[in-house]
Amino acid sequence: MEQLIGELKEHLIEELNLEEITPEDIDSEAPLFRDGLGLDSIDALEIILILEKYYGIKLSNSAEAKPIFYSVKTLAEYIMKNRK
Amino acid sequence: MKCYIDSVVVDSRIPADDIRELIPDALLRRRMSRLLRTAVATAVSCVGGVENIASLDAIITATGWGCLTDSERFLRNMISEDEQLLNPTPFIQSTFNTVGGIIALMGKNHCYNMTYVNRSHSFEDALLDSMIRVADGSSRNLLVGAFDEQTQSQYRIMERMGVFRSQSPGEGSVFVSILSEKSQSSLAQLVRLDFPGNSLNETEVLERYASSSASLLLFNSYRDKGLFPTASAHSFARAVELIRCGESEVVVYNEYLGATPAVSVVQCVG
Repeated sequence: MEQLIGELKEHLIEELNLEEITPEDIDSEAPLFRDGLGLDSIDALEIILILEKYYGIKLSNSAEAKPIFYSVKTLAEYIMKNRK
Repeated sequence: MKCYIDSVVVDSRIPADDIRELIPDALLRRRMSRLLRTAVATAVSCVGGVENIASLDAIITATGWGCLTDSERFLRNMISEDEQLLNPTPFIQSTFNTVGGIIALMGKNHCYNMTYVNRSHSFEDALLDSMIRVADGSSRNLLVGAFDEQTQSQYRIMERMGVFRSQSPGEGSVFVSILSEKSQSSLAQLVRLDFPGNSLNETEVLERYASSSASLLLFNSYRDKGLFPTASAHSFARAVELIRCGESEVVVYNEYLGATPAVSVVQCVG
């Protein structure tokens, strides 16, 4: 799990162009959107692409995305359960 | 029909370190290509800071090529990802009006926002729009700018066409703050714009556009900035600088790769 979280942080930094942020700066349990990392709706689209591109996961129901995209940890848990 | 030039900023005057201060929103900055960063930073510097964008009543931009880096990135992704899993950011930022849009978003300004993409006339068309808006009373405080970037693939295509046999490749951004009324800070006045329809030699340009024998003629020079469609904006900036240094009138003649020329006449503020 820790390895997946580290890998996910690297993908987020690279794909979302998070300037001046290192994996250590990202709190795994902090919110990704608004208060936490401050991501927005375009980033949500980018995260959907990360899930599909790197883990073969296609989100079929957008309504379920909110709790999954809450933090790096919730994303990693979802990937663990659903990766192909 | 005339308007007053209050400030002119050329991208080369902005050190890379200042871009972070001029575009303080890290979330916005991180998605910007090199062109977007320099063009938007040049615009913000021209108006004197993000807080002054809100007072503009027209944002008019000009580009010949547009945001090539993001366009190429989007097209490459389409090919490499077989039209699946496409990253939205390069698509959003590939449009010609991205710079004008970002400036407006930064200042939360919903004013008139137009982008001219008319090859080598783009900058002069943006200037003409500003003059018309000033003349009919639609705008009093305008930001007009031009930007173009060179990419590897663009360079290769133009090189194959033989364009760079006599010219070097170029790119750059220039922004001009225009006011309808003369102010203490007015640097020069733009008094005339014309598109003569056919090439003119030096004598013909001066006969047709110079108001006196003291007028200086400035041909579009690609020596300093290289060749790109909105290079004439840099000649315009040079003209304003010459007026600031004491010239009474400068006629800028823009003829790009045999295209129909454009002429702008800048005078000192009387």
